[in-house]
Amino acid sequence: MNASSTTPSVTEVAQKQMKHTCEHHAECMKIIQAILDDEASEAEKDHFRENMDKCIPCIEAYRLEKCIKDSLNMKIVKKPCPESILNTIISKINS
Amino acid sequence: MLVAMSETLTTNEYTDDLRYEVFNREFMPHIDSMYNFAFRLTMDEDDANDLVQDTYLKAFRFISSFEQGTNAKAWLFRILKNSFINDYRKKSKEPSKVDYQEVETTYNSEEASDTTYTVDLRADAVQELIGDEVANALNALPVDFRTVIILCDIEGFTYEEMAKILDIPIGTVRSRLHRARNLLKEKLRSYASSMGYDS
Repeated sequence: MNASSTTPSVTEVAQKQMKHTCEHHAECMKIIQAILDDEASEAEKDHFRENMDKCIPCIEAYRLEKCIKDSLNMKIVKKPCPESILNTIISKINS
Repeated sequence: MLVAMSETLTTNEYTDDLRYEVFNREFMPHIDSMYNFAFRLTMDEDDANDLVQDTYLKAFRFISSFEQGTNAKAWLFRILKNSFINDYRKKSKEPSKVDYQEVETTYNSEEASDTTYTVDLRADAVQELIGDEVANALNALPVDFRTVIILCDIEGFTYEEMAKILDIPIGTVRSRLHRARNLLKEKLRSYASSMGYDS
């Protein structure tokens, strides 16, 4: 995915083959989300492997979707359940 | 009383000791996730408290319909979601109806949701956002869309588990998730630009 970390000459060659527009981006978005959710079919995985390193809109979309998913998972504070609820539940099921 | 509730009870016969054991071992470890789910659904601490309590008491009462070895967390989330719809959604303090109407009009077809993929938002801008900003964007979504994102991205349920929790087909899980994410991107984009992160 990270074309910028390769050597300049390789990058240059890669850049020439890169697609700057994606003619089936809506479909690709669904595949990208399925991949990130670990729910992609074999056909979707194949499509992803074959196309994802040469389509700039899809590479950017993948980065964005992954970043949002990670942010939701890691940045949102998870509160502990208040002790009082726990105690009420326990006392009610024991009564 | 419980015997009358389930025809398959012979396979799930619970002694009193076993009921407490299963409750403690299978259900209690999920209480923090349940509390956070309840809070994000109701957006109100008192309602979240009541919802979690009600759910756990129901889970104990109907424990004989829980099949040991199956996914307890999904089972609990389903009860909580149903309690929320039946008991809380009506009296919810959240003014979500107006929002939802708007969303229905904009996103009432697959095609409509597909055209919104060009939300101008960069990963770098999202990276700059803090947890509260991400949470606010999520909370601004209508509850059905918020729910699928919570289940998938925060709680890590599979599409199949989500289908069971929400009583909808897997195809609907996929498309609702897709729409929810498009909406979330729009909310995140307005956050990012208001914070000056977006170029």
